[in-house]
Amino acid sequence: MNPYLAGIGLGLVLLAAFVLVGRGLGATGAFNSVIAWAVSTVSPGHARSNEFIAGYLGDGTSSPLKSWLLFEVIGLFAGAMFSGLLAGRAKVMIEKGPRVSVRTRLVMAFAGGVLMAFGAALARGCTSGQALTGGALLNLGSWAFMMMVFAGAYAVAYFVRWQWR
Amino acid sequence: MMAPFLKYGMFGDETSLVLAFLIGIGFGFFLERAGFGSARKLVSQFYLNDLAVFKVMFTAIVTAMLGVTYLGWIGWLDLSLVYLVPTYLVPQIAGGLILGAGFVIGGYCPGTSVAATATGRVDGLIYLVGIFAGMFAFAEMFPLLKGFYLSGAGEAMTIPGAFGLPYGVVVFAVVLMAVGGFYGAGLLEKKFATPVE
Amino acid sequence: MRGWISRLTLNQTLAVAAVALGALALFAAPYPGSKVTLDARELALVVGTEADHIEAPELAAWILENRADYRLIDLRTEREFAAYSIPTAVNVPMNVLTDAGLGRQEKIILYSEGGIHSAQAWMLLRAQGYKSVYMLKGGLEEWKDQVLFPAVADNPTATERARDERLKSISAFFGGQPRSAAAVAAGAAATPAMATAATPASPAVVAPPSPAGGAKPAAPKKKKEGC
Repeated sequence: MNPYLAGIGLGLVLLAAFVLVGRGLGATGAFNSVIAWAVSTVSPGHARSNEFIAGYLGDGTSSPLKSWLLFEVIGLFAGAMFSGLLAGRAKVMIEKGPRVSVRTRLVMAFAGGVLMAFGAALARGCTSGQALTGGALLNLGSWAFMMMVFAGAYAVAYFVRWQWR
Repeated sequence: MMAPFLKYGMFGDETSLVLAFLIGIGFGFFLERAGFGSARKLVSQFYLNDLAVFKVMFTAIVTAMLGVTYLGWIGWLDLSLVYLVPTYLVPQIAGGLILGAGFVIGGYCPGTSVAATATGRVDGLIYLVGIFAGMFAFAEMFPLLKGFYLSGAGEAMTIPGAFGLPYGVVVFAVVLMAVGGFYGAGLLEKKFATPVE
Repeated sequence: MRGWISRLTLNQTLAVAAVALGALALFAAPYPGSKVTLDARELALVVGTEADHIEAPELAAWILENRADYRLIDLRTEREFAAYSIPTAVNVPMNVLTDAGLGRQEKIILYSEGGIHSAQAWMLLRAQGYKSVYMLKGGLEEWKDQVLFPAVADNPTATERARDERLKSISAFFGGQPRSAAAVAAGAAATPAMATAATPASPAVVAPPSPAGGAKPAAPKKKKEGC
C-alpha cells in the first residue's frame, strides 16, 4: 500500500480516538496492565507496594485488565490479522537476514524487547503512545522522544546489520 | 463543544472499551497494510533502503494534527480534555535512545510486534515475550529507578506552549518539515537500493 | 491551472493538500483559552431559584442509598481534606479544578467550608460549559449542623421522636452524634466536640459505602491513562 495512504488511514484512526474518547493510541500501557494483573494475582501485597505496578491497578475497584489500551491492543491484533490474511501475508515465519541463524535472531528479538520495555517505561510510552499520539498533539516530550528514537536506532543500526542483510 | 464524546458523557466506560477494540482494529489494519508486520521492512528505515516508517508515521502525525487543529479551532473538540502525557524531558530522552536501540536490535516496536505476531511472525512473538520480561524487570527495579524516572519537568506541555509560539505556526512548520522530509526520503531511497516489498 | 493539477501524481496531490491545509491552519488556535463565556440570564435564573443547591440531609440520604450518579468534590486544601471529609468525596483544590478531568455532563456537587468557595467554583465550572454543577448548601458547616451533629429535641413529641431517631441513625452512620436542641439554642458551640468526634477514628463506622462504578475517586488513584 502507498505509505502515504496508509499514514492517512492511521492518522484518521488516531483522530477518531481523540474525538471519541479523548486519548490517543498506545501499546505499552496494555502490557503494563497485564503485568499489573499478573503480579497482583500472584501477590496482591507485592503489587500494592510497588509504585509502578500500583499505578496500573487504580483504586482497585476494577480489574487492571479492564484497560482501554488492552482492548485496543486486542483490536490491533485482530485488525492486523485480518489485513494480513486478506493480503496473503499471514504465514508462520521468522523475519531475518540470510546470514543469521534462527536461534540468534530469536535471542536478538528477545533482547530488543527487553530494551524496548525499559525505554518505553522511562519515556512513558512507545512509538504509538508517545511518538504518534504525542506527535500529533505537539507534545514537547513526545517530539524529544521521537528524535531520540531515530537517533538511538541509527546509532546502533550499523552494529547489527549482520542480522538483517 | 461536543468532543471528546466520552468526556462529555455521551457514553460510559463500558462503551469506550468496545470502541477501543474497534479503534484497535483500524490501528492494526493500517499498520499491517503499511507492511509493518515485517521486521525487515521496519528496520530498512535505519539502513535507508525503505523509509516507510518515517513516511507512514509522519503522514499519520500530520493527518491527526491537522484534524485536531481544525476540529479544535471550529470549537468541536475540546483539546484541553484530550489526554497529554506529561513531559519528563530527561528520562524521555534516555528512554527514546534505549527504545531506538531496542527497535533496530529486535526489529519491532510494541505495536508492530503485536501486528507481526498476529500475522505469524515467530520473532514478533519472542519480541513480545521480551517486552513482558523487560517490563516486569523494570517494575521490580522501580524503587532504584524512581529518582531518574521522575526527573525533568513533569508537566503536560506542548511545543507551542513551551516556546510561546502560536499553535498554527507550529502546525504549519511541522507540515513543511514533513513534506520536505518526504521529498528527501524519496531521494535517499533512490540512492540506497530498493524498497522492501 | 487545471493543467498542472491533472499532471500531479497522487503523492504530489497529497503534499499540496497538506501544505495548503497547514498554511490555512497558521491562524488556528485550537485550545480554548482560559477566557470563558457566560449566559448571564440563565445563570441569574438558576441562582435566583436556588436550583443549584443540594441540602445536607439530601446529600446524606444519597450517600446512604449508595447512589453513584454524582461526583462529590471537596474544594478545600489537602490537609483539611485529610482531617475530615464527607464520605465518597474527592479532593480537588480550587487551583486544579479545571484540570481535574471532570466530565462536562457529570453531576458535580461542590462543597467547601462555608459557601463562598463552592459558589465561586460553581461559577467557574458553569462558565466553562459544565452542565450540571451543584453546591452543598451551607458547605461543611451546615453538614455538621444538620447531619453530623443534628439538634434533637430533649422532650420529643411522638412525631419529633420518629424524626430524631432517623437523624440519630444518620448521624451515627457518618460518625457524629446528635446534640440536644436546648443546648444548641443556648448557643453551645458545636465545634470543639466536633473536631474529635468527626475525625474518623473508627473507619468501620465512617467507612463510606463506596459507590460502585461512576463515582470513583479522581486524581491520585486513577489508573494511568497514557501508553
